[in-house]
Amino acid sequence: MSSQHRRPSARSTRIIALTASLAVAGLLAGCSGGTGEVNSDYGFATAEQVEDSTITIWADASRQPAVEAFEAAHPEVKVDLVVDDGSANGSATFQTKIALADQAGDGWPDVVFSTQINDASWASKETNGVQAFAAPLNKGFIDDEFLSGFTAGALDPVTIDDTVYGLRNDLAPVLFWYNKALLDEFGYEVPATWEDYIALSDKLAAEHPGYFLGSVGDTFLGTYVYYWAGAAPIFTLDGDKFGSDLSDPNSQRVTEMLDHMVANGTLIQDSVFSAEFVAKADKFVGSPGPVWFSGALFQNPDSVNAQAGQWGGSDPLYWEGDDKVTGNVGGGMWYASSHSKNLDAVKTFLEFITTDKATAGTGGLPAYQAAADTWLADQSSSGFYDGDFESAVGAAASSVWDGWGYPNFSVETAYAKVIIPGLAAGKTIEDLAAEWQTEMENEAKVAGYTVG
Amino acid sequence: MSATELTGKTRRGAGSWLGQGAAGLVAVAFVLFFVVPIVWLLLAPTKDGRELLLGAPFSVGGWDQLAANWASLTSYQDGLIWTWLGNSAFYAGAALVITLVISIPAGYAMALTEFPGRRILLAVTLIVMLIPSTALVLPIFLELSAVRLVGSPLSVILPFSFFPFGVYLTYIYFSTTVPRALLDAARIDGAGEFRVFAQVAMPLATPVIALVGFFSFVGNWNNYFLPFVMVPGRKAPVQVGIAELLSNVPQFNPTNAASTTIDLPTLALATLLSVAPVLLIFLFSQRFLVTGMTAGGTKE
Amino acid sequence: MSTNTQLAAGALAGRQPTGAGRSRRPDRAQSRIGITFVSGYTLFLLVFGILPTFYAVYLAFTKANAFVGIDNFVKVFNDFRFLPALAHVGLYVAVWVVSLILLVVLLALIVHSVRARWLSSTVRFIYYIPGALAGASSVMLWLFVLDPTVSPVSFLLHALGNQTLVDTVQLDQLPVVLAIIAFWTGAGGWIVIIYGALNNISTDVMEAARIDGAGPLATAWYIQIPLLRKWIAYMAILSLAAGTQLFVEPRVLSQATRGVVPLDYSVNQLAFLFAFKQNDFNGSAAISLLLLVVALLLSVFFVFRGGLFERD
Repeated sequence: MSSQHRRPSARSTRIIALTASLAVAGLLAGCSGGTGEVNSDYGFATAEQVEDSTITIWADASRQPAVEAFEAAHPEVKVDLVVDDGSANGSATFQTKIALADQAGDGWPDVVFSTQINDASWASKETNGVQAFAAPLNKGFIDDEFLSGFTAGALDPVTIDDTVYGLRNDLAPVLFWYNKALLDEFGYEVPATWEDYIALSDKLAAEHPGYFLGSVGDTFLGTYVYYWAGAAPIFTLDGDKFGSDLSDPNSQRVTEMLDHMVANGTLIQDSVFSAEFVAKADKFVGSPGPVWFSGALFQNPDSVNAQAGQWGGSDPLYWEGDDKVTGNVGGGMWYASSHSKNLDAVKTFLEFITTDKATAGTGGLPAYQAAADTWLADQSSSGFYDGDFESAVGAAASSVWDGWGYPNFSVETAYAKVIIPGLAAGKTIEDLAAEWQTEMENEAKVAGYTVG
Repeated sequence: MSATELTGKTRRGAGSWLGQGAAGLVAVAFVLFFVVPIVWLLLAPTKDGRELLLGAPFSVGGWDQLAANWASLTSYQDGLIWTWLGNSAFYAGAALVITLVISIPAGYAMALTEFPGRRILLAVTLIVMLIPSTALVLPIFLELSAVRLVGSPLSVILPFSFFPFGVYLTYIYFSTTVPRALLDAARIDGAGEFRVFAQVAMPLATPVIALVGFFSFVGNWNNYFLPFVMVPGRKAPVQVGIAELLSNVPQFNPTNAASTTIDLPTLALATLLSVAPVLLIFLFSQRFLVTGMTAGGTKE
Repeated sequence: MSTNTQLAAGALAGRQPTGAGRSRRPDRAQSRIGITFVSGYTLFLLVFGILPTFYAVYLAFTKANAFVGIDNFVKVFNDFRFLPALAHVGLYVAVWVVSLILLVVLLALIVHSVRARWLSSTVRFIYYIPGALAGASSVMLWLFVLDPTVSPVSFLLHALGNQTLVDTVQLDQLPVVLAIIAFWTGAGGWIVIIYGALNNISTDVMEAARIDGAGPLATAWYIQIPLLRKWIAYMAILSLAAGTQLFVEPRVLSQATRGVVPLDYSVNQLAFLFAFKQNDFNGSAAISLLLLVVALLLSVFFVFRGGLFERD
């Protein structure tokens, strides 16, 4: 057909030229734009401030009551709360959404809550020419006096090169929770060491089958509550070097313990947030667990819903003859956005959310010392928990093992991928140990760390 | 003729009944397969969480339970579900208008006019329309982020409006149902090309406009990947939104132990709402759809 | 309902255009109006079809705007998640396409053989309805159906040894589970199309077969299915192209099972992670390009080898 060989008409040439120039212009526009001048009041390059603008907060549903309390206490601050999953289970929601906003050049929230405590590892870095999302807090934005009110060590995961990038929501050290009523009924002692715990499990399995001593069905239980508390170096970070050693003696001890207890039925595989767990809650004899089990499980009408005096907390378990260390299950961090247009409101919010006597800690142990003291005193005076709860929590909070790393990926994803389905299929953690270690090492490599 | 018919029929007597029985069984089994989840979905919002877990799958709950689940869903984040539905309607609707405006004339032009590059355009259209939309999402995202459009409704509406299949459908339709003779007659009468289109072709185009509109709207309403990367958060359409809702269902997000939990029945209700418009369109246009899709060449 | 079934429907609906008048010299008025009418669409085609492809190519072969050859591809291939993701998608596509072809043809034949027209069209409609739920909604629904604690078919799941959702979606079974979800949503449209194609088979041929004494099975095997070959091939190719793009189902399942279905299960998910978790847009473009090339090859094969699109 002759028409095919004709020159393209003038109109189509124009169209192509127009589109091409649009694209080039766009690419050029996208290439420009970097970080601006550092604002000396704050210590980072701030966006143009708009007084009284609404602040956007990304937080999960568990923090919603606290945010609402803030709105009630500070009606002058306009808040837009967007509820997400808080990056639970290592879903990296925070990171991927911020990456999207960075690409769009727009859409950053003003405050973000993350259940993971390792986000500062990426949020403090500039990416693709866009300023680091997390605003440095101790360079003038928040008073040093306020920052020093946090419990010692609470802000360590978010302090990089002496710059603090976030505020801790709660401390979640692992202590030992026990069902006093059941222990008394069966005539058992509260275990003090891991060895005691294992012996208890054997007795329980023999004399009262069906009763259990905890779960390994949640990604944060197996990893933080057992391996971290057992001082097992399965997730270590040394500068840029990641390490995971499941053949270390402590790692092996924990693995044996878990396999033993899964085998004798005293460790279940149901998530503590599942309906199955709630159905069995009356057979729950005790377990190591984070402080926030208090609000999430024991004082929660939809969960264990304990009666006063039925449950108690005691010092964390430790290996006989070894240092008394324990683990930590998250604790959550609040980050301020360096792109925020209303840093005053953000400051007011951050200070409230970490210190307000009624809601700080959102059901767990507040990270701000004064609020923590109040919370512990309240728990003690209410007599809800048996034993010296305050001292147990204090012991736990001050003995978190420092051999655990905070790289920019989560230990939970490998556990979910390898251990949970493996256990469900009837394998032991020992069987899966090599695969699990390889998976964590691979994830580290992908995240840019060196392994070995 | 009749004799052979008879022998033919009797010879196949018993075997044919067995065969028909088996065939019927298979057909019925699949009817159940396709229908059971939908019936379950319709009934689930009438129960509460416990009934859903412990009761029989097809038990019917109560109206008041339905009202409670409805209230729980609509009060979530101050009616976020309506924002999502509104977004879906806006994106799919706006894209629908633009799609029709650019696709119908294009299909007409490719079918009934002659211009340089027509065949190349047709070939390119055919090739591109077979590429699943998800294949181009990330490249389009990168392209639009280079022009800083990501995050605006346009970043969703414009890609949605690119619908090569609609152009192709229109092309097929015009080339088979509008005789050139009709157009030539109008041209001879002195009508300009635009009038030929508007007054001869367009009145005949209602079925294809409806078809293209239907496929465009349904496809865009159900699209997940593109809006997921372009407009997360408050601007998300309902498909992306209900996936976000998952993070508030205790069974699916463990660290959720607070007041705004979404129960499973409420999630089911949200799912139902998210497909309601399309489902309704399907139901009301079923006859038109089924015959429209197999029009031309079927001899029922 | 996927666009693949839509476009095949369109093909079924269409006939060869009457080619009269093509050899005439096009006059300028027609030419002008033609170009005006396609200009809008062509612009969109360029911006959302052609340009993104070129941009993806550009990104896949560069890093920070410098040409790096196939470095990005090497990096992607060596990523420990890439080959498993390929295997997952490959397995899923294999299971899905095979079962789709077998079951769609079977059901279409059955539905076609039903004498009562109202029954036939009702059954076809019922098969078609799930197509209204696509994307995230259907996965949400299937979350319930797959969870033995709430599922309407929990007895079936228990019988297969699945006590919890984690059991049902374990990686061994996952390709089958995903294929079932995809089948539920997509089969109806294809059944309607194959049914239409069956209707196109002339009744004379069917009569002749019946007179020869062929039973329904023999007729199906020797007459109908061979005449459906083209349609079956199209169904296979289009489903293949769509299946490789797997994203939303494993993503929602990953969220719901809290990571038991990994975040990097499918190739598209991996591309997403490269872009947004690792800020590696070049790697992401490399993966997208691979998927695009697969889809493109299938598409070109379909267009140029498939007889139904012979034009002019």
